[in-house]
Amino acid sequence: MAGYLARRLGQSLLLLWLVSMIAFAILHLAPGGPLSQFALTPGMSEADMQRLAHQMGLDRALPVQYAEWAWRLLSGDWGRSYRDNQPVLLVIFSHLAATFELMLSSTVIAVLLGSWVGVLGALRRHSMFDALSTVGAMVALSIPTFWFGLIVIYVFSVKLGWLPAGSRFTVGDGSFLDFLHHLIAPSLVLALVTIAIWSRYMRAAMLEVINQDFVRTARAKGLPERVILTRHTIRNAMLPMITIAGLQLPTLLSGALVTETVFTWPGMGRLFLDSISYRDYPTVMGILMCSALLVLLGNLLADLCYAVADPRIRLD
Amino acid sequence: MPTDAALAVQLDQPPAGSRALRRFRRHRLALAGLAMIVLLSMNSAIGPWLLPFDDLFIDVMRRFAPPFAGVHLLGTDELGRDMLARLMMAGRVSLTVGFVAMLLSTALGTVIGAVAGYYGGLVGTGLMRLVDAMLCFPAIFLLLTLAALVEPGLGTITVIVALTSWMEVARIVEGQIRALRERDFAVSAEVMGASDRWIIFRELLPNAVAAIVVAATLIVARAILLESYISFLGYGIQPPTPSWGNMLNNAQQYFDRAPWLAIFPGVMITLAVTSFNFLGDGLRDALDPRMELP
Amino acid sequence: MAYPALPSLDRRALLGVAGAALLGTGARAQGTAKPPPAPKGQVIVGLSQEPTRFNPLMPAIEVDQGVWWNLFSPLWNVLPDGTFSAVLAKEVPSLANGGISADGLNWRVRLRDDVKWHDGKPFTAEDVKFTIELVTNPKFRAGSRAGHDMVRDLTVVGPHELTWKMSAANAVYISRLAWTFMVPKHILGAVADPNDAPFNNAPVGTGPFMWGERVAGDHVLLRANPHYFGDGPYLERLVFKYIPDMTVMYTQFRTGEIDYTSIQGITPDRYAEARKLPGRIISVNPSASIESITPNLEMPQVSELAVRQALYYGMNKKAIIDAIYYGLPTPAESFLPKQSWAYDAGLPKQEYSPAKANQILDAAGWVRGSDGIRSKGGVRLAFTNSTTAGNQVREQAQQLLVQDWKAIGAAMSIKNMPAAVIWGDYFRLSKFDTVMVGVTFGIGPDPDVTDRFASTAIPAKGGSGRNTTQFANAKVDKLLREGIAEFDLAKRKAIYVAIQQEVRNDLAILPMFQYATIEGVKQGLVGYKPNINALSNCWNCGSWSWAS
Repeated sequence: MAGYLARRLGQSLLLLWLVSMIAFAILHLAPGGPLSQFALTPGMSEADMQRLAHQMGLDRALPVQYAEWAWRLLSGDWGRSYRDNQPVLLVIFSHLAATFELMLSSTVIAVLLGSWVGVLGALRRHSMFDALSTVGAMVALSIPTFWFGLIVIYVFSVKLGWLPAGSRFTVGDGSFLDFLHHLIAPSLVLALVTIAIWSRYMRAAMLEVINQDFVRTARAKGLPERVILTRHTIRNAMLPMITIAGLQLPTLLSGALVTETVFTWPGMGRLFLDSISYRDYPTVMGILMCSALLVLLGNLLADLCYAVADPRIRLD
Repeated sequence: MPTDAALAVQLDQPPAGSRALRRFRRHRLALAGLAMIVLLSMNSAIGPWLLPFDDLFIDVMRRFAPPFAGVHLLGTDELGRDMLARLMMAGRVSLTVGFVAMLLSTALGTVIGAVAGYYGGLVGTGLMRLVDAMLCFPAIFLLLTLAALVEPGLGTITVIVALTSWMEVARIVEGQIRALRERDFAVSAEVMGASDRWIIFRELLPNAVAAIVVAATLIVARAILLESYISFLGYGIQPPTPSWGNMLNNAQQYFDRAPWLAIFPGVMITLAVTSFNFLGDGLRDALDPRMELP
Repeated sequence: MAYPALPSLDRRALLGVAGAALLGTGARAQGTAKPPPAPKGQVIVGLSQEPTRFNPLMPAIEVDQGVWWNLFSPLWNVLPDGTFSAVLAKEVPSLANGGISADGLNWRVRLRDDVKWHDGKPFTAEDVKFTIELVTNPKFRAGSRAGHDMVRDLTVVGPHELTWKMSAANAVYISRLAWTFMVPKHILGAVADPNDAPFNNAPVGTGPFMWGERVAGDHVLLRANPHYFGDGPYLERLVFKYIPDMTVMYTQFRTGEIDYTSIQGITPDRYAEARKLPGRIISVNPSASIESITPNLEMPQVSELAVRQALYYGMNKKAIIDAIYYGLPTPAESFLPKQSWAYDAGLPKQEYSPAKANQILDAAGWVRGSDGIRSKGGVRLAFTNSTTAGNQVREQAQQLLVQDWKAIGAAMSIKNMPAAVIWGDYFRLSKFDTVMVGVTFGIGPDPDVTDRFASTAIPAKGGSGRNTTQFANAKVDKLLREGIAEFDLAKRKAIYVAIQQEVRNDLAILPMFQYATIEGVKQGLVGYKPNINALSNCWNCGSWSWAS
């Protein structure tokens, strides 16, 4: 186990290094730069732009810039954002909470609703409900998240006026209720895809468990169906779902980014879009590295959970 | 790490008796998907010629004409252009991007996967680590980062969508080729002096075609979604060329006055993506029941 | 939706002018109430871009400046009518009061002696000296050094008086200083690297409001400065809320979540609807930004004057303004706003006449090909036009222009790019054919455009200015040099009128209209006063109050 972990960690570090090279190259080779935003600012001239480029080290060779960035990263310095001059990690952390909030709330919705749909679908296999939920899940996976967000805003904010059209809370109103009110629409939109994925996996997991020996044994012992369902079937079917949650992390992150842009949610997605359009290199690099780290962590956890949940899998 | 596919194989083992029924149902959906794809393609290909309106003709006096009333069947947009004509032309663009991006990414993924799987060793490991690294970026992050690199346009958008979609195919092909590499027929071909290329493309790859076709179909769906999103953000297909995504770009601003501007393009995207997903799902059942994804 | 993430570099660019009369009624209706004796309540300002830079000497965009005006103070500022008004200084130096010597070289500034920094330390001449020296410090990432780098022999004469000498007479410097905010020496002078000072995220100034907190990606909160030396403040809190989406911004303004929609304000298509909102006052404020088609004069398609004249005749300005900007902006002929003291009202008016355009092109030897597009000597009259990708209003205007110019045999194709790309080397080093852009040409109230139109200011030819159109006119060069060194207003006006005529005759830019921002405030908000000479209408929030 220890050997396996060490190997996986080594691989992950190697991947992170690759990711950083790819990201750095793409970003810095892209035309335009962090100073473009000042090209039209009254009072600034080309002389100012060239001086700033030099002062910021943007006129140096790319490998030199990369080496400096990487060297600093190794010593724990992620650099400072070009936009607000704050340390990159601080910038990321100050946006992370909003994104996690969204991811968490939609995952909770997905786990509850998706599991219910999946379990019911498996129990009433080939019923109308099963057929409809399978088709429904596929359609849900096909709806563009941003468009669904637009429609939700149109119906619930513009037409009915029930929900706010965006933002995380009303300034000056710090109440929990206000916060929940703002959270409803974006987390439902983000949950749409997650529910679909979750219900499909849950259904499959249930189908496998239902026909296994211990369930048959339990049934033979004359345990009530409800007990069998909750104690044995669902619990065992839930185990592999932890793995799914880990593997779905990149999808969820992408979904959160899209949702945030539609609902003007001040999270990582918002930050990423702003940072990339201003060419805030240190922040974009920081976000990409953090998300890669998260993805790798998700994969690793998924594998570990999988091994723990299923003794047939041996990691060494 | 277990891929979704591997996991699903273990999870989803329906009893043999119901399989036919299941397949039938899925096939019905797949057929419906296929029919819809044909319909959408025909509509985009031929439709614009049948309409009396040009998708680019601006008539400001007639802007925001509501749908299902008057000469413009689906109404007009903020510049008075015919919505139906624009939807059809946008379909050309979006479907083309989806299809070409699929071809590019499938080709790229197949070549990389085949090389990695066949040669293994340092080259193989290196290539597969590259695949892993690319998969470390959440798709949208990668897409937007790449979008910063290029001048937005039909060609460049297609390429960057392809560049974010080839990794799955590479993994599938690499797995298949590596597994088949040591089988008798490959070894005997090698003994008989066949070239590597011949072995890869004639002996090994045909065995993976089913899996590739399934993955490719799903890539089309994904590519259409990705294109629509970056066009919606304004980084994708540039006006005046319409795409389903960039038609939505303006729509939110005119919600209160012209909701159809937001509704129609989104419905088209959903229709197209759902169709490709159903088709892919059905193909998976038909061609390769082993790798059933939920 | 005004697209969520685009940093419209053309920030003020959303719209057109007009309605000074309208604005007048709004301001009058609110101008009567007396401010409260103690700061009361709060104002939430909606911004479509996020203010992130709080060191007022570093490069920034307009939204940042909106915050600066309330945290910091300049020596003097410019009022909406274009006159200077002393803030930290006792009086604005001039030739008349002896603050500036007759040759324009020696300056003397006396400061108020009752000003304190937010931390209670007194503000002195040392701070002014420190500020100007910091800007020119080679290690400091200052936004712009222009003007400051001409200051020599900066001497603190007394705690509240200082003098300096300019390396050359510069009438523009007084306007530059009106945009230069003073920073505290005792804080920024004490850190090793002012670029990364904690001050940059917890600024200390002399303005009517003090730093409260910032929630990144959401808002900045300022609190009343009880020791403010000037008028106000009358509000306990001032909040700048970042709302990246124009639709959401409008919705929140309608529902009353925000009190004022600043920079980009309200989109023109909503203007009519917004005016009907109960309890809201909408004003259309002229901006100094001029929208134009800016040609790259070194490109063979547009280098010939006849072509530019024809394109100008072929442009249906009125249709663009009416249809896309809902008739709000006023057509422009000059690069200066109509409110400028140097504005030349006598410039010839553009006329939309495809017939004349065709005539000119025929006469100049541009012959139509089989596809209807003209060419001459192997050069096809086909060019690209670029602007920020995702700016829908501009995109619509471009599409109308494509149709307009097709009729006179010119093929314009749209080639839009993300902001960071187009306004990078592509624009700065003149790699474009034409761009559609809104530019504020002057510096505050000053009409100097050396940076924009002098032949020495072409970056593509090694110049250090912003003459990206590559305009070169010896007469204009000479006039520009004279204009900077002249302190007499009447004489200066004559110079800049001549420059405007030259630029108009040469069609260095094809001017379209002068922008205006449509901004809305809640009824009862007293003191809101748009200022074309500041870069943000948040320039005087210190005087704002709620009518009781």
